Amino acid sequence: MEQNRRQFLLSGWKVGGAVLIGAAVYTAYEALRPLAGGAGGTKLTVGSPDTFAKNTSTYFPEGRLYVVNAKGDLLALSQKCPHLGCQVPFCDSSGRFECPCHGSIFDIGGEYITGPAPRGMDRYPLDVKANTVVVDTGALEAGPDRGAKKYFAPPKGPSCIK
Amino acid sequence: MTNETRDALEPDVATPASGFLARVQRSDAWRSMFRHPQLDTPRGRALQSFSNFFLHLYPVKVPARVLRLRYSFRLGFIAAVLFAILTLTGVYLMFVYTPSPSAAYGDMQHLKTSVGFGQLIRNVHRWSAHLMVLTVALHMVRVFYAGAYKKPREFNWVIGVVLLLITLGFSFTGYLLPWDQLSYWAVTVGTNLVHYVPVVGGELQNLLIGGDQIGPSTLLRFYALHVAVLPSALGMLIAIHIWRVRKDGFAVKRASVGAFEEAATAPPALPGAPAALYGDRTRLLGVVDRESVTAEERAVDDTVFTWPHLVARHVVVLLGVAALVLALGVAFVAPLRGLANPNVTPEPSKAPWYFSALQELLSHFDPLVAGILVPSGIVLLLLLLPYMDRNPATEARNRKVAVLVFSVLLAAAVVLTVIGTLFRGPGWTFVAPWTHLYLEL
Repeated sequence: MEQNRRQFLLSGWKVGGAVLIGAAVYTAYEALRPLAGGAGGTKLTVGSPDTFAKNTSTYFPEGRLYVVNAKGDLLALSQKCPHLGCQVPFCDSSGRFECPCHGSIFDIGGEYITGPAPRGMDRYPLDVKANTVVVDTGALEAGPDRGAKKYFAPPKGPSCIK
Repeated sequence: MTNETRDALEPDVATPASGFLARVQRSDAWRSMFRHPQLDTPRGRALQSFSNFFLHLYPVKVPARVLRLRYSFRLGFIAAVLFAILTLTGVYLMFVYTPSPSAAYGDMQHLKTSVGFGQLIRNVHRWSAHLMVLTVALHMVRVFYAGAYKKPREFNWVIGVVLLLITLGFSFTGYLLPWDQLSYWAVTVGTNLVHYVPVVGGELQNLLIGGDQIGPSTLLRFYALHVAVLPSALGMLIAIHIWRVRKDGFAVKRASVGAFEEAATAPPALPGAPAALYGDRTRLLGVVDRESVTAEERAVDDTVFTWPHLVARHVVVLLGVAALVLALGVAFVAPLRGLANPNVTPEPSKAPWYFSALQELLSHFDPLVAGILVPSGIVLLLLLLPYMDRNPATEARNRKVAVLVFSVLLAAAVVLTVIGTLFRGPGWTFVAPWTHLYLEL
């Protein structure tokens, strides 16, 4: 009986240590985790659908996104490269999205053409109501798989990065 | 106690016979501060080590071979000196710097325009950081080729690998602090890599940057890591690292051991009988157990006092390193691009040289492979190296496999680094450095 109490007390400090470490880790987690509501998510009104001419891209810095008219379809593309998060600029001369960091290239619809990116550019849902286009920046959708070729077109002209 | 009694008790203490200095050095206050006698005798040199806090990092005596530059090239010591310089300059910078996106970039400009020597201190901090990464890496390479990670030093190698990782952590967190385009996008790319960690990647990335993109919380937590968490971790581990070097003894071939083996294996000369008498035949008179011969051997004392031999060399290296980083700081200005703009990625967007091998890999392979599996595989290999390589030999000819594997990996890392650093331009296209050099430091 006495032996058991001794063993209990001897292991007691280990339990205490484990609780302390657990508390420290959890406190660190609480201090480091992003605060609620930091993920954005407002609805962004970007104007009338007629303002987006065919095969052009319009940049909306407030939403960190492009609204493109790809062969007649309106799409809202996140500016963030699905590879490693660089901002993917639209190259006017080639009519494609070309990432300066690692050379990924996407067509006007954000579909993957070449480079290290694992998929096409991520998209936001887009709604046309009463002749205004509204982008829901709270609901990012993963971009199309690498094989997608719906909006593919050969480059109009020279690339901006090659 | 009178001065006469004191001098009689410590006859070998070199105290000036008279004058103001003698009065000061004989005072109780002086002796309460500086206990060690300054005398150039073996006892004086040993006492110097025993009674001096800073010298307790060193053993009292070291093998004479440690004094040779070729033994270690002083790389570990240089890394420690650079850490000290970085701490010092880092504290100066902390007096000026505010870790907030609205203030950080302005503070960088204040360093240049309003703070005396501010830009110089920033330059020295920057170049010392680059040199520290280089020195720590070279230190590791040197220790590998010397086979100095083998028993009983396995765990000190592991601590060394962790020290290398912490050094890279310093570089990565420090890189963000100026809050310019270079920092913002290098850290964006670096932290997005974390996203590719299986299962917990997204959550891990959120914890690291405190949101879905680099912002105020990222800057603040990188600052806290850079000035508090990492320095304490590095300081603590350096202390253990150095302590273990002392306790494990220096990884040198002791002259005594070598001499002993030579003597024990050389054929004994025949006393009294010229060899010519028997030609090259020897007459066997008896068999002696080898043990009984070795018991007769005495170790040769090949050690020298740390004070002043090693300490003096270290002071010279310290002054040399300080002069070098100061010269670099005067000659080259630390880069500062435009204010960080989350909506425009600069062209080209390159990582500093120590991450450019990784960036080069990333442009060829899937991020999970190039950004997560390869780096963590290499770190794991390094951590386990002393436990996998059980071969006790330290000469290259007796450990060909280990040397070959390490050399191939090292060559690959160097080639990828050179390509990534010097041969890549906008869009990560191949650009020869003699046509246009895109170098980020």
